[in-house]
Amino acid sequence: MADRTIIRFEHVTKQYDDDPAVLNDVSFEIERGKFYTLLGPSGCGKTTILRLIAGFIEPSKGKIYFNGKVINNLPANKRQVNTVFQDYALFPHLNVFENVAFGLKIKKMKKSDIEEKVKEALRFVNLAGYEAREIREMSGGQRQRVAIARAIVNEPEVILLDEPLSALDLKLRTEMQYELRELQRRLGITFIFVTHDQEEALAMSDEIFVLNEGKIQQSGTPTDIYDEPINRFVADFIGESNIVPGKMIRDFLIEFNGKQFECVDGGFHPDESVEAVIRPEDLQITTPEQGKLQVRVDSQLFRGVHYEICCFDEDGNEWLVHSTKKAVVGDNIGLTFDPEAIHVMRFGETEEEFDKRLEAYEEAGHAK
Amino acid sequence: MEAVPQNIKSAQNKSFHYQSNHRKTAVILSIIPGLGQLYHKQWVKGILFLTLTASYVAVFSNLLNMGLWGIVTLGTELPRDHSIFLLVEGIIALIVITIGVAFYAFNLYDAYQTGKKRDAGMRPCTLREQYQHTIDKGFPYLLVTPGFFLLIFVVIFPILFMVFLAFTNYDLYHSPPAKLVDWVGFQNFIDMFKLDIWRETFVSVFSWTIIWTFTATTLQIAVGIGLAVMMNQKDVKLKGLFRTILILPWAVPAFVSILVFSGMFNDSFGAINHDVLAFFGVKDIPWLTDPFWTKVALIFIQTWLGFPFVMAMTTGVLQSIPNELYEAATIDGATSWDKFRTITLPMVLYSTAPILITQYTFNFNNFNVIYLFNSGGPAVASQNAGGTDILISWIYQMTMTSAQYSKAAAVTVVLSIIVILVALFNFRRTKAFKDEGKV
Repeated sequence: MADRTIIRFEHVTKQYDDDPAVLNDVSFEIERGKFYTLLGPSGCGKTTILRLIAGFIEPSKGKIYFNGKVINNLPANKRQVNTVFQDYALFPHLNVFENVAFGLKIKKMKKSDIEEKVKEALRFVNLAGYEAREIREMSGGQRQRVAIARAIVNEPEVILLDEPLSALDLKLRTEMQYELRELQRRLGITFIFVTHDQEEALAMSDEIFVLNEGKIQQSGTPTDIYDEPINRFVADFIGESNIVPGKMIRDFLIEFNGKQFECVDGGFHPDESVEAVIRPEDLQITTPEQGKLQVRVDSQLFRGVHYEICCFDEDGNEWLVHSTKKAVVGDNIGLTFDPEAIHVMRFGETEEEFDKRLEAYEEAGHAK
Repeated sequence: MEAVPQNIKSAQNKSFHYQSNHRKTAVILSIIPGLGQLYHKQWVKGILFLTLTASYVAVFSNLLNMGLWGIVTLGTELPRDHSIFLLVEGIIALIVITIGVAFYAFNLYDAYQTGKKRDAGMRPCTLREQYQHTIDKGFPYLLVTPGFFLLIFVVIFPILFMVFLAFTNYDLYHSPPAKLVDWVGFQNFIDMFKLDIWRETFVSVFSWTIIWTFTATTLQIAVGIGLAVMMNQKDVKLKGLFRTILILPWAVPAFVSILVFSGMFNDSFGAINHDVLAFFGVKDIPWLTDPFWTKVALIFIQTWLGFPFVMAMTTGVLQSIPNELYEAATIDGATSWDKFRTITLPMVLYSTAPILITQYTFNFNNFNVIYLFNSGGPAVASQNAGGTDILISWIYQMTMTSAQYSKAAAVTVVLSIIVILVALFNFRRTKAFKDEGKV
């Protein structure tokens, strides 16, 4: 549905001088009214995408569409986009009201209208009654909300958030995650959220773009990306994972650690070299005799919700286990898992091929 | 003087009935310092106090006698008495008396406190305890004492001398050793506002001082900030070179620049009239002989001298304003002028305001440029200050050339009162002062 698309990147590249491209031939679509997250380590190009959308920089190659029109050279203030900055970029010499009203005043709006709109925006972020406060009297979370109010008061179609939660402490951050998500639902506009915190991304997004080295590695819903990472980088970056080299004997049968296991992935060449991912929480501890793998407990950390147990098998591969049961360091234990717990990744597979293969064998699976 | 132990304080609270009356006896005995302490059997302290008193009387009696007589009469007989020396001696005598009275008061207080302690049934402090107490509680006082005495003679003494002078008729015609100086009360101040020539001079000098301060300073700040903002633009090439050139007026010693300018502005052979203005076909301007044009030249020169400092400071502030603020404003559609008006200017003024205020006070007392450029001139009829004299240079001229010392002192007193009031008003409004009170 074309009209649901609000922003489209077509083979966009951003390069400064002769340095390697910050963003390398990126294409994607963003739909109206959803919560998107650009996730990746620092320097992966996520902020570049944000600044391209905001209009602070122009792409070196490719086209950016907004509501079907190319906006490559449109100045920032002509775009229906507003940004919430990492350090909020609030004006320290103005109070809350004046900060939120800044854009409206520049637009020479009528005073009574400004007042009404600012009040409404502040009510939206639960800051009604804080109009006369100075910025320095506000806490980090409140400043955050002022920044959001300043963005929504201009009634943009898209709000860009550049790691807005990174300056807050853990508790407040979690709270703001809920609040932002809730706010996005109430406003019904598109949020594009940049973060390097994978938990934040998983918790808040409708859709996640995982970026690395100027390329989109994988895009999809949080569950898709968590359960079926496309490659080693995504598997490693999103959550903890055990990644081991293996070989597909045939579809739905994989060999690693010198043993063969049933799995649920298909669409491979016989005897193809692959990598297998098993999430630590999918591994259960049993006796060595019952275990599919035999490992030795090397160390253990208590994480509150679970124990994080680090084990090594005979080949020296590390196995991370999340278990609510305590293990004894130095013990030999067995690890068991379901066939569904194994996720197989092909080397060098593009997102398109990955999706196609997934669809193909899923259909085949259903046909059986 | 927190010498009262806790239990005595609580005793006072319960309206404690003293069993004896040592405190009164001790105070009465202490009319001669030391006796009260001896009465408390504090032998060393008592003897120390007695000795101090005796030596004070022995050493200073002559000075006090002479000084007090001198400061009252300012001399009676020529050529024996030199009024100014007598005044100086008198002021020293007053200071010595103040110190003496302070010591005497302490002696009475000490005798009373120890007496009260004894009346409450406790033994007085031993010498060791007293010593430890002094070291403990009085250590900060001990440390500032030398500085305090220095302050008395370096700061307070000259101020007192100046204030006293303002109430005399010390001038060319009443100048020792040939003549005596007399007290005249408020005559100098009355003259300043009543005699036409003095009043006109005062009003004209004062108003020019104000105009000078505001125009010159505001201009130098405006030019400084303007250039700093210009140099901070992304597209400017060779920023370093331009900044270096613009800093140069600051690098050259001000008095050299002023003297050079004085030559350049010369009416008949200066480069400004001779070359620059002639090139544009403008006829000669009387830079040094018409008060108006001298004022214009002075403001120009001070702007030239003062802007590099403001520029350097502003450059620092500009670079600390986060770029995000400008981006946020850009999103809202702010133009460059909007951004300057709503972000740059408030942020710069916000963080440099205290220093900018000192620029104003500096120019209020900017003697150098006024005096070196045209010695406060040109002369103006019907007043006894030059056409461009500000208060400070007028005072200088009164003391150094026309020898009207007492009038100069009176003007200084008036000037000081104004400056003190303004400073106090400003200081009390600063955040630093308000926060100090809270701590």
